[in-house]
Amino acid sequence: MEEQLKIDFEKLLENSNFSKNNVEIKRKSFNNFIEKGFPNRREESWKFSDLNQIISKNIKNLSFYNDLSKPNKIDQSIFIDGLEHNKLVFVNGRIEKIEFDYEEKNKIEILDDLFLEKPKNANNSLLFLNNAFVSKYFKLIVKKNYSLQKPLVIYNITNKDLVSKSINLKVDILLEENSSLKLIEFSDDKSTTNFININYNLDLQKNSFLKNYKIDNNSNSNIKYYFNNISQDNNSISEIFLLSSGSEFIKNEINCNLNGKYASAFVNGVFILNKTKHHEIKTNINHLVENTKSYQLIKGVLEDTSKAVYQGKIFVDSKAQKTDGYQLSKAILLNDNTEFNAKPELEIYADDVKCSHGSASGSLNEDSIFYLMSRGLNYKEAKKLLINGFLLDVVEKITDFEIKNLIKNIMSLKQ
Amino acid sequence: MREKQIDKLKDYKYGFTTDIENIRAPKGLNKEVIEFISKAKKEPKWMLDWRMKAFERLKNLKEPNWQKPKYPKIDYQDIYYYSAPKSASEKPKNIDELDPKLLETYKKLGIPLQEQQRLNGIAVDAVFDSVSVATTFKDKLNEVGVIFCSISEAIQKHPELVKKYLGSVIPLTDHYFATLNSAVFTDGSFVYIPPGVKCPMELSTYFRINASQTGQFERTLIIADKGSYVSYLEGCTAPMRDENQLHAANVELVALDNAEIKYSTVQNWYPGDENGKGGIYNFVTKRGLCKGTNSKISWTQVETGSAITWKYPSCVLQGDNSIGEFYSIAITNNYQKADTGTKMIHLGKNTKSKIISKGISAGFSDMTYRGLVDISSKAKHSTNYTQCDSLLMGNKCGAHTVPYIKNKNPESNIAHEATTSKISEEQLHYCQQRGLNPEEAVGLIVNGFCKEVLQQLPMEFAVEAQKLVGISLEGSVG
Amino acid sequence: MLKIKNLKADIDSKSILNNFNLEIKSGEVHAIMGPNGSGKSTLSNILSGKKGYDVSGEILFENKNLFELETEERAHKGIFLAFQYPLEIPGVNTNIFLKTSLNAIRKARGEKELDAIEFLKLVKIKAKELKFDEEKLNRQLNVGFSGGEKKKNEILQMSILNPKLSILDETDSGLDIDALKIVADGVNSLRKKDNSFLIITHYQRLLDYIKPDYVHVLMNGKIIKSGGPELALELEKKGYENFN
Repeated sequence: MEEQLKIDFEKLLENSNFSKNNVEIKRKSFNNFIEKGFPNRREESWKFSDLNQIISKNIKNLSFYNDLSKPNKIDQSIFIDGLEHNKLVFVNGRIEKIEFDYEEKNKIEILDDLFLEKPKNANNSLLFLNNAFVSKYFKLIVKKNYSLQKPLVIYNITNKDLVSKSINLKVDILLEENSSLKLIEFSDDKSTTNFININYNLDLQKNSFLKNYKIDNNSNSNIKYYFNNISQDNNSISEIFLLSSGSEFIKNEINCNLNGKYASAFVNGVFILNKTKHHEIKTNINHLVENTKSYQLIKGVLEDTSKAVYQGKIFVDSKAQKTDGYQLSKAILLNDNTEFNAKPELEIYADDVKCSHGSASGSLNEDSIFYLMSRGLNYKEAKKLLINGFLLDVVEKITDFEIKNLIKNIMSLKQ
Repeated sequence: MREKQIDKLKDYKYGFTTDIENIRAPKGLNKEVIEFISKAKKEPKWMLDWRMKAFERLKNLKEPNWQKPKYPKIDYQDIYYYSAPKSASEKPKNIDELDPKLLETYKKLGIPLQEQQRLNGIAVDAVFDSVSVATTFKDKLNEVGVIFCSISEAIQKHPELVKKYLGSVIPLTDHYFATLNSAVFTDGSFVYIPPGVKCPMELSTYFRINASQTGQFERTLIIADKGSYVSYLEGCTAPMRDENQLHAANVELVALDNAEIKYSTVQNWYPGDENGKGGIYNFVTKRGLCKGTNSKISWTQVETGSAITWKYPSCVLQGDNSIGEFYSIAITNNYQKADTGTKMIHLGKNTKSKIISKGISAGFSDMTYRGLVDISSKAKHSTNYTQCDSLLMGNKCGAHTVPYIKNKNPESNIAHEATTSKISEEQLHYCQQRGLNPEEAVGLIVNGFCKEVLQQLPMEFAVEAQKLVGISLEGSVG
Repeated sequence: MLKIKNLKADIDSKSILNNFNLEIKSGEVHAIMGPNGSGKSTLSNILSGKKGYDVSGEILFENKNLFELETEERAHKGIFLAFQYPLEIPGVNTNIFLKTSLNAIRKARGEKELDAIEFLKLVKIKAKELKFDEEKLNRQLNVGFSGGEKKKNEILQMSILNPKLSILDETDSGLDIDALKIVADGVNSLRKKDNSFLIITHYQRLLDYIKPDYVHVLMNGKIIKSGGPELALELEKKGYENFN
C-alpha cells in the first residue's frame, strides 16, 4: 500500500495547483501518515474497530488519487423531496453545486483553497491522511446575526464509477455571533468499497445555534470515517443527530470543546444495523469552563451479525464547576452473533458537578411482546412496534419539527 | 487545618517498624536469587522449574503502561526479593514458640495471634515480610478436613493440589507483574475446603511488610471443592518509609460445582506522607474462576492505603449458573492514586454478575474505576448489573470511570450506571446543625455512601472498615 | 435568651436582612410571619450558622456571640433548627444518625453518652408520643420519606435532642391537618419555662394550634410590626400586600 500511496501522492501534487504552504503541510502530513498507517485495535480509541483490518478485508487495491478534472453528473432524484433547502453537492468527492437560493447573498461566504494547518490531534493518523490528500478545502461562514431561512443540505454522493478509492473532504463551518444554521448531511452511495474520510470543523461563536443532522441510510459497501471537531463559545448550542445505518462501516467521531460559559451540546444517535455492518460512534465532550451542559443519547438495534460500538467520554476540567453532563447508551441485540460494545467514560476534576452515564444492552423484553400479543398483534408486529418505540425516543429529541418528520419518514417510523 | 492534617498522618497507626533480625536473599532479580528462595523454602524441583519457566518468560514481557497512575521506573535489581525473620527460619510448631517480638507486632496491629485463638474464632495466617509466621486454629480446621496453611507448607505437604491449581486461573505468563510473582513469590496462604464442607470459621491472613527495600510477593490459592463454602479475609499494613515499596501479589480462587468463596480485603498499606513521599505500590493480580456449575465468587474490597493501588479482582464465570460479585470502596487522599475495578468474563449459560463500586477522592488524589464486562456469545441468558458512584471532595482531585462493556449475546442483558457527585453543603449543614463536627459529618455521610459495600463485609471487618473510611478522609474537610 | 441587634445579611451583595432586631426570652414563643422572599429562611440559616452570607450586627445567645460559634457548637449550646426542606442522606440509618447526634451534644455538655439500649428506649417513648412509625427510624435518613414524614421526623429529633431554642422553619408547609396537629402537640409538649421557640411561617393556621406569645411581621428584611396573637389574624384577613 505504501508504494501506491507514494505514487498517488506525487500524482496529486503534479496535477493540482496547491500553494507553497499547503504543499509543505501536505508533505509533512503525508509522511506522518506513512509512519503511522491506518489505525488498528492496539490504539485505545480503535479498540473495538480495527480500521486497518476492516480496510484490508473489504477493499482490494485501495488507491488514493482521484481525478477531479471532469465534472460528474448529479442524479437529481437523490435530492430530498418536500423540503426547501440550500445545497452543497459533492459527487465522488468533487464539488458540483453550490446553491444558496433562499439566502441573502452577503450573509454567507464560501471560501476555498484555504491554508492547511497541522492537525491538532497528533495521534489521529486519519487527519493526516485527510490533510495530505484533500484537494479543495472549503469554509462556510454564516455572518453575524444571520439565521439561514432554509436548511443547508450537504450531499455526499458517490456513483458507480467510484471503486476502491480513498476520498478525503474537509469542510469548516463558522457560525459568527448570534447566527444559526440547520445543516443536514445526506449520504447516498452507489459506489463500491471506497474509504471516505471527512473532516468537519465547526466553530460556534457566542449565542450561535447549530442543528446538525447526519443521515447515512442507504446500504452500501463503503468504509467511512467522520471526524467532527466542534468549538463552542458562550451561550452557543449544538444539536447533533446521527442516523448511522447504511454503510458497511462508519465511525463517527465527535470532539466537542465547550469553551464558553452556558454553552451546551446535545448528541443523539441511532444505529440500525444488519448483515455484517459495523458502526461506531465516539463522543468526547470536554467541559472546560463553568456552567456548561452536555447530553448524549445513543441507541442501537442490531440484526444478523452486525456490531455497534459507542465510546463516550465526558471530561470535566477543574475549572468547570456546575457542569451538567449526562450520557446514556442502549442497544437491542436481535440475533446471536450481534455485538454491542460500549465504553462510557467519565474523567472528572471538579467537585461541584452533576455527571452520570448509563449503558444497557440486551434482548427485547419478552413480557412486553407477550403483552402486545395478548392485545392481538402477531409476534412480528409486536417486535416492530417495540423497536420503533425504542428508537423513536431518540428521534423525538430532534428540535426541528420539519426535519424530525423527514427523518421519521426515512426511518419509516411514521405512525 | 494543615498542621492537624500532618498530625493525623503521623498517626498512620501501623507505621511502626519491628526491630527483628532478618535473613535476606541478596538484592536483585536473577536465577541465583530464585534458586535461593526455592532452597530457603525447601521446595521440590518441580516448583523451582515452574519458577524458572516464569523467569524465562518475564524476560520477554514488558511492564504494562496503560494505567492512569504513572510511577517512576522501578529498578528490579534494587529490590530484596526475600526477607524472613531469623527466628522463623525454623518454623515453630505452635504459636507459643513464636518470637515474642513478632507476637508483639501483631498485637500492635490489632491481631493478637494468641488471643485470637480464644476470642473471636477467626483462624489467622500471619505473613511477615516474605514468610508465613503463624497459622492459628489448625487443629480445629483439620477435624473437618479444611487445609489452611502457608503456601510453602502446601507445596511440601499437598503437592498434588498445588500442582493442579497453581497457575490455573492466572497463567504463568499472564502479564508482567503476575509473571514476576510466579518467579519470586515467597509465601502466602493456601486454603482447601473439601467437598460439602462449610468452613466452620472465617479464615484470615494478615500481611505485613516490615523490612525496607523489600518487595512483597505473596501468593494465595484458595480451592473450594464441590458444595463447599468459605469466607476469607485479608488485611495488610506496612511501616512508614520514605521509599516506595512494591507489593505484587497473586491471588487465585477456584470454585467447583455448587461451591462459594467470599473474599474480603481491607487494604491499608502505608499510603505515603501528605506530600506523596513513600508508600506502597500495590500492584496485585486477583482472579477467581467459577469453574463448576452454580458456583459463586464474591470479592469485597476496602482500599484505603497504598501510594498507588492498581488491581482488578476478577471473575471468570465458566460454569453454567455461576455468579460473580464485586463490591468495592476505594478512597484516595493527599497524593494517593488508584486505578481499580473488576473484570467479569461470562462464558457459561445463565451466569450473573454484579458490580458495586464506590470511589471517593480527596486532596490531590486521583481515582479511576476501570472495569470490563464481557458476555460471550455462548453465555446465554446472562446478566450483569453495574453501579459505579464517585464522590469528589475538592477540585484538586480527580474521579474517573472507564467501563468496557461487551455484549455478544442477544439473550443476555447488561446494565451499567454511574454517577459523580459531592457532599452537598446542605447535607453538611444539616448534620452540623444536629451537633456533629464537620469531620464526623463527612464520615457519616461517606459511610452512608459506602453502605451497600460495607454491609457485604463480615461483622469483624465491617467495624474496622467503617473506622478506616473515616480516618482515611481526615484532614480533607474544611 | 436570644438577642438580635441590627442584623444585616447580604448574599452576593444583595441585601436580604437589614436592621433586624428581635429578643426572645426564656419560655417565650415567637412567630415570624412574612411573604415569600421577605428573608424568613435567611434568618433561620443565619441563626443555625449556614455559610455563604455576609453578616454584620450582633446575635447573642445566652450572652454568647453566636458569630463566634460553628454550626455544631450552636447545636451543642441548644439551638435546634427544624429545616424547611430536611435533607436526605442516603445510606445513613436514621436511628444511627440520631444517636450520633444526641451523643455529640451530650458529650459537649459534659453529660454521659447513651448506649444503644438507653437510646432506643428514649426513642421508643418519643416516637410513641409523636405517633411516629418506629419502623421508619430503621430506614435511611429521610430517603423515601413523604413530605409530612420528613417534617415529623424533624419534630421527633427536636424532642429527643431537647434544645433550649427551637427554630421551626415553615414546618407547617406541606402538612395535612392531622400531621399539623401532631407537630403542634409535639411543640406544645416541649413548652417549658426555660425552652423558647421561634416559629417561622407563611400562614396563620399553625398558630391556631401553637399559641404564640408574640407575632412579628417580616417584610423586605425587617420587622415592620410586632404584636400579640391577634396580629396573625389581622394579617390573614388583610393579606401581606395590603398590610402596609
